Amino acid sequence: MWVRWWILLIPPLIVGFTLVAASQFVFLRASFFEDLGLGRVGDELVIGNYVQFLTDGFYLKILWVTVKTSALAALSTLILGFPVAYLIARMRSSWSMILLAGIVVSTFITIVIKVYGLIVIFSANGLFNQTMLAIGLFDKPFSVFGNETGVVIGLMHFTLGFGVLLLYSIIQTIPKSLESAAQIHGANRWRVYYRIIFPLSLPGVTAMLLMVFNMCMGAFTSAALLGGGRVFTLPVMIQRIVMMDIKYSMGATIAAVLLVSVIVINLLSIYLLRRLRAAHLVVV
Amino acid sequence: MKFVTYRLQKLIGRFFFGLYCSISYIFLLSPIVVVIGTSLNGPTENVEASFKFPPESLSLYWYTQIPEGQIDALLLSFVLAIVASLCACLLGVPAALGLVRSNVPGKALISAIFRAPLQIPAIVTGIAFLQLFYWIGDLTGFYWQGSLIGLALGHIFIATPYVVGTVTAILQRFDTRLEEAAVIHGASPRRAFFRVTLPVIMPGVYAGALYAFMVSFSDVPVAIFLSAPGFVTYPVEIFFALENDFEPSLMASATLVIIICLLLLLLVQKVIGLDALLKVGGSRGVG
Repeated sequence: MWVRWWILLIPPLIVGFTLVAASQFVFLRASFFEDLGLGRVGDELVIGNYVQFLTDGFYLKILWVTVKTSALAALSTLILGFPVAYLIARMRSSWSMILLAGIVVSTFITIVIKVYGLIVIFSANGLFNQTMLAIGLFDKPFSVFGNETGVVIGLMHFTLGFGVLLLYSIIQTIPKSLESAAQIHGANRWRVYYRIIFPLSLPGVTAMLLMVFNMCMGAFTSAALLGGGRVFTLPVMIQRIVMMDIKYSMGATIAAVLLVSVIVINLLSIYLLRRLRAAHLVVV
Repeated sequence: MKFVTYRLQKLIGRFFFGLYCSISYIFLLSPIVVVIGTSLNGPTENVEASFKFPPESLSLYWYTQIPEGQIDALLLSFVLAIVASLCACLLGVPAALGLVRSNVPGKALISAIFRAPLQIPAIVTGIAFLQLFYWIGDLTGFYWQGSLIGLALGHIFIATPYVVGTVTAILQRFDTRLEEAAVIHGASPRRAFFRVTLPVIMPGVYAGALYAFMVSFSDVPVAIFLSAPGFVTYPVEIFFALENDFEPSLMASATLVIIICLLLLLLVQKVIGLDALLKVGGSRGVG
């Protein structure tokens, strides 16, 4: 039009670029100094930290635990979230708005507070364990602290709301008429799920799984609180190694490994989503 | 007869489907309900009993026992979130306008720079800013970690992409003929912008500001590196409280935070509607 819109880009671009470039440069550079412990670093650029990360079984195990809990959390998010998203997307009454609001509310409450709730629920004489012991499903109280199950549950609290909202927008793009057509031609409910909804939502679901997996890989708060100092994922390890062992370079190295793996997965999911958008299979 | 079994099957199917979905909801919302419920416990002889849910007696006793440290932290978080969301809007709205309206070369790259903080795990942002501040401090003698400016910079960094995202989403659907119509009727481009364009994109700004506020207000991984003893945000304060002194008064302050978040959500929802809030935002969970 008559306005030079690009001028508006300059101030935010300068601030944005400076912050991204400066912070990433300084920390990536720090990851290449030898770590002498207690905040002291060598003054030559070396790749020793990376060699140590990739050869030390301790760090590799942490990487494996991170990948495993993230994958489990992403899958569980799909399993718990898909039916809810389907229900909301197919609902015609005003209840759908209320159900959506419930999801949004849960995503807006910080995870630290939710963990407090989990502590009360899962404590030895809390609601969950009392009920389960009374029914006889468990013979001893079940704890979610300091084990991988707990970390997965914590990660799910972080991703489930987001996952449902994303799945909801994917399912909305599948026309209801396709389901009706299949049913008219004699398909039962399961066949409709299996032959219509599943194949049509598969690309979107794959992208959603990658995004959620990625969020979990980088999730600090829930993993740290529910890991209880016994389960370590990469983000938890970064915080510990920097704040307790005061090993800045090693912390930066782990952060760099995490950053690179997350960005690779992200590019993959962006590429996937872009192809979906081009094919009008998703509205996000 | 066949018809009846068909109806029955359908009913049973619906029942189990509903049951399954309610499990998801219980999973998502029960911790929040339990925190609110537990905070209403009355004073008890042993601390353990104060964590009972459902509460045995209703009282606001623990609300009077919230330690000063948590109130200070809550105030700091509040100020910080307001500063961060204001700055995020100041940066994000022009960025979105420039991105959508101009046709500068390398737009994909520019938008990637604006979206970069979303791709970087928050914990990496935290350690990166900590080292950046050490580096600046070594150069200038001013260390920004443990100060409002340091925390604000970190939070502006993670919050701005949300504003860019929501405003871009609105602008892409904006019909520029509205602006042209205003100009044809004699408005200056400036007037057309402030009287036509701005009101249309305001829902995006509100939604973006809400997301930015929430991102800052509930962030742990960035603030944990940039806080200092005595200068801690609320989520970091209660993050450490979990390990050190787990008091029933925590439930009371957490309930206050839940109420603040719900009120804010309600306010924005009233202004722009839940539908619009969801349509413009990649509502990526916070925390």
